[in-house]
Amino acid sequence: MTPASPAVDAVALDAALIQRVTLPERHPLRRGALLAAAVGALAVLALAVLGEPRRMLAAYLTAYVYWLTIALGGLFFVLVMFATRAGWSVTVRRLAEHVAGTLVLFAALFLPLALGADTLFGWWHGADAAADPVLHGKAGYLDPEFFFLRATAYLLAWSLLAFWFRSRSLAQDSSGDPATTRRLQALSAPALIVFGISLTFASFDWIMSLDPHWYSTIFGVYVFSGAVVAILAVLTLGCIALGAGRDPRGERPGPLAGVVTTEHLHDVAKLLFAFVVFWAYIGFSQFMLIWYGNLPEETIWYAHRLEHGWRGVTIALAVGHFVLPFFFLLPRAVKRTRSTLVAASVWLLAMHYLDLYWLVMPAVERHGFHPHLADLVAWLGVGGLFLGTLGLLTARQPLVPVGDPRLAESMAFENT
Amino acid sequence: MTQVVAEIDPVVGRPALVEGRPGFHGITEAVARPVEWKPPLGWYIVLAVSLSMLGLFGVSIAWLLWEGVGIWGNNQPVGWGWPIVNFVFWVGIGHAGTLISAVLFLFRQRWRTSINRAAEAMTLFAVACALTFPGIHTGRPWLDYWMMPVPNQMAMWPQFRSPLMWDVFAVSIYGLVSLLFWYVGLIPDLATMRDRATTRVRQVAYGIFALGWRGSMRHWLHYEKAYLLLAGLATPLVLSVHSVVSFDFAVSQIPGWHTTIFPPYFVAGAIFSGMAMVITLMVIGRVAFGLKHLITLLHFDRMAKLILLTGTLVGYAYGVEFFVAWYSGNPFERYAFLNRAFGPYAWAYWIMVSCNVLSPQVFWFQRARTSIPVLFVVSILVNIGMWFERFVIVVTSLHRDFLPSSWGYFRPTFWDIATFLGSFGLFFTLFTLFVRFLPMVSMSELKGVLPEAHAHGLPPDATPDKPLHEPAVGTGLASHPPQPEVS
Amino acid sequence: MRLPWQSKAAAARPAAEGPWLLAEFTTPDAVLAAADAVRRTGTTRWDVHSPFPVHGLERAMGLKASLVPWFVLILGLAGAAAGMGLQWWASTIAYPLVVSGKPMFSWPAFVPIMFECGVLGGALGAVGGLLFEARLPRHHHPLFASKRFERMSDDRFFVSVDTADPNAGEAEGLLRRAGAVHVERLATEAPAPEGRA
Repeated sequence: MTPASPAVDAVALDAALIQRVTLPERHPLRRGALLAAAVGALAVLALAVLGEPRRMLAAYLTAYVYWLTIALGGLFFVLVMFATRAGWSVTVRRLAEHVAGTLVLFAALFLPLALGADTLFGWWHGADAAADPVLHGKAGYLDPEFFFLRATAYLLAWSLLAFWFRSRSLAQDSSGDPATTRRLQALSAPALIVFGISLTFASFDWIMSLDPHWYSTIFGVYVFSGAVVAILAVLTLGCIALGAGRDPRGERPGPLAGVVTTEHLHDVAKLLFAFVVFWAYIGFSQFMLIWYGNLPEETIWYAHRLEHGWRGVTIALAVGHFVLPFFFLLPRAVKRTRSTLVAASVWLLAMHYLDLYWLVMPAVERHGFHPHLADLVAWLGVGGLFLGTLGLLTARQPLVPVGDPRLAESMAFENT
Repeated sequence: MTQVVAEIDPVVGRPALVEGRPGFHGITEAVARPVEWKPPLGWYIVLAVSLSMLGLFGVSIAWLLWEGVGIWGNNQPVGWGWPIVNFVFWVGIGHAGTLISAVLFLFRQRWRTSINRAAEAMTLFAVACALTFPGIHTGRPWLDYWMMPVPNQMAMWPQFRSPLMWDVFAVSIYGLVSLLFWYVGLIPDLATMRDRATTRVRQVAYGIFALGWRGSMRHWLHYEKAYLLLAGLATPLVLSVHSVVSFDFAVSQIPGWHTTIFPPYFVAGAIFSGMAMVITLMVIGRVAFGLKHLITLLHFDRMAKLILLTGTLVGYAYGVEFFVAWYSGNPFERYAFLNRAFGPYAWAYWIMVSCNVLSPQVFWFQRARTSIPVLFVVSILVNIGMWFERFVIVVTSLHRDFLPSSWGYFRPTFWDIATFLGSFGLFFTLFTLFVRFLPMVSMSELKGVLPEAHAHGLPPDATPDKPLHEPAVGTGLASHPPQPEVS
Repeated sequence: MRLPWQSKAAAARPAAEGPWLLAEFTTPDAVLAAADAVRRTGTTRWDVHSPFPVHGLERAMGLKASLVPWFVLILGLAGAAAGMGLQWWASTIAYPLVVSGKPMFSWPAFVPIMFECGVLGGALGAVGGLLFEARLPRHHHPLFASKRFERMSDDRFFVSVDTADPNAGEAEGLLRRAGAVHVERLATEAPAPEGRA
């Protein structure tokens, strides 16, 4: 169909805008991305010789899931913004599309986990499982072939969804066709269902089954809430690094100056605040119900996290992932100031790592909190590859969806 | 592309929230008229029916107090019967009002403006019904003060580790905060009713509650801030209240009750049922009171999407619960869920699944979201399904617990049914009186979303310290004026 | 006498009110321009009345941000502290009783009520702060003497200026020039034949 209003035409054809929001060929961010990818690849390889295999795999899994949840958060952000037909977020959405675009990388990075799964997951060994009546009962699900089949399905679904939404949105940059938006809106709702189911079962498979006896129905929602916190922090950092909230007429304003404004940062920060609370709500609900019910097969999971050195980590997580950011992000001024937003985002991304470390590592490190150099190396490794891929995806593409019919509405957006 | 789609699904621009161009005065007239005119005969008929159901409620409660809880079907092992089912059912319905008012307000969903007043009123009346059941379910309401943290002759204090105590606080505070939120929203409209009053009685009655409101901008400033903050407080409150209700079950060790997904699952279900009740009431109310141009198909389209969303979330919870019951490897968990689906109460389970998960799926289609008959039927089905959800949770989990020797079967008695139907009498009586005496749409908010409500600002030099509008941003952007904000 | 919540400037103002000048406008734009003009005269005892909040007016009038958030924050925290305090005191000091093997101070079980009490405190703070900051209820006000002022809650916009303020001298001409469709002068204490509840 033809564009419905002259404003659409004007936006789609605005060459000056497109040029301004596209990174130049020799932008330092892109060279940094390539460097990060190289460092990342080396670091992942280094893990193989750094220590005992199960511990290395656990470090890798933590890092993998950390960066994966950020990418999945990006996919969720894109899907939910289309599903709700949000106008305000159009200028922010492209960055989330690029972040989600890295999901293809995670399909490749699953390989070390696939190779090491029999070492990492205790339920893998047929003999142990057969001797354990509880594990025997769930052998139909915790089965190596089925595990690989499911992992393939999740990774395929995520990569395809991310690829499709990103490529359609990029195509709209030149066509400016509102029909694209309409089609993506229609697709986003079923895509969210696929996303919700796959994220739930992936979190069961890759994290919850590290303690194969333990179960919690809310677990998928918990992982989801952390992922959304992480992507909102990443979007805040990414936008600010690219000039969001700056005066476009100032010195070296950055490509997003004047396009992503303080108003957008404020809205993202409000969502960040909301999801910090949501994370605490889900985490507390799970803890309180298990604590209250006091059934040994459930409390054992928390027992591991409340004894030896882990007790301090648990408290640090509750305080650092909820109490501090809650009060810090409460004032309006904090949500509208770039420096405080950067501080809150960096802090929450660190806390997100602690959260996943706390989910994964006590299954392997039963006798206390023992950070290992490999944890850092794995984080840098997967992170470097993630950032490198992100840099490649961002290259030569406008940083905002310049063909989106709601771009003008989004740029003029103001909080009331 | 069909006309309906073009009306409510534009990608470019935003649909108007109010049909036609009523203007400020037109809105006042449309909303205030049903409150000022002599009501139609239909209103008296509805009131009479509601009052007779309310009478049934009174008789049921009187008989309960005279005879005791033996008049109900509660037995061993099903010690929690219909009173708890009805309590959770009504509290759940009471959640949509706050969702529409507070959550959608925070998300800047301005279409809520046409329906939030009635939804908030519905919340209050549903909470009133809900609070009745815990009040009477022991058969000794004169001892209810035991739940209050007050010094007493027994020198005892409430047992704060009990989730039933959490309920007392959560639901009563929820009722109170919802009342405050509703009342604050009403103040400007009460002033309108006061200023339009033609009789002294109406002028005094509305005037007292209008608090002397004179539309002062100095007041609006605080008013808008207070309203925003109340919305910000009500949003976590609405989540916490139904979470606390879910804790009643989930802190126990009963298979089928003790599961960690209960809090968000109950919240989604509560919003689901409440939204269905809003649709049911609005379908009738907009026709009866001539508000079709203010409560339009656009509003129903949005509400139907929320039904679809929350219905799908509820379906997710059913699925995860069922899967994890199997995955747990715990034979009691597994049995509890198989018993739900294939045991003596399988009929209730499948009514629940088909009403709550299957029936809302028609809302994938816009034609269904904008068809009044479909909306009405599905909203009724959802209400039925959500009542059965609570029935399934309460009764099927209790009737067969760990010891087969203490298994049993629950059957409701006449008085169970009479009390439940009677509670609808209380609800509808209050709602009928509400639509007669208070404006059922927020006039001041609706005027604020009209296109002509937006001042276009002064020239940039208007105020010395800060321009009213940021100048258009740099390179290449100056040529695009912001689109007029229609919605 | 200066009341505790009155600023010194407010206390120094003439105690007498009025007569009030009341100007009627038909559009948000017109009242916005008028408000901007009145603010520049330097008068402090004036107001704008509208059926709904007109955005941009708070800036045109030069109003300061509302203090209601502070009421909410302080009372919300106080409510939460009181809720937790009550449960701690009742469960450990007033009536210690072991229930399901849990400690006397079972903090996870006390979080829900603490939260609810915090929300209650915050909500009371919001409504109390609104009433206090707006000095409501005030059922009697000189402006209510005007019959035309009844359309304040319907479809008209008004600017009211207290002529007792020496800076308000020019206001009448100013308001007429700003496009007021009607300007009237109200008696200080109108006998109000209709009366106001």
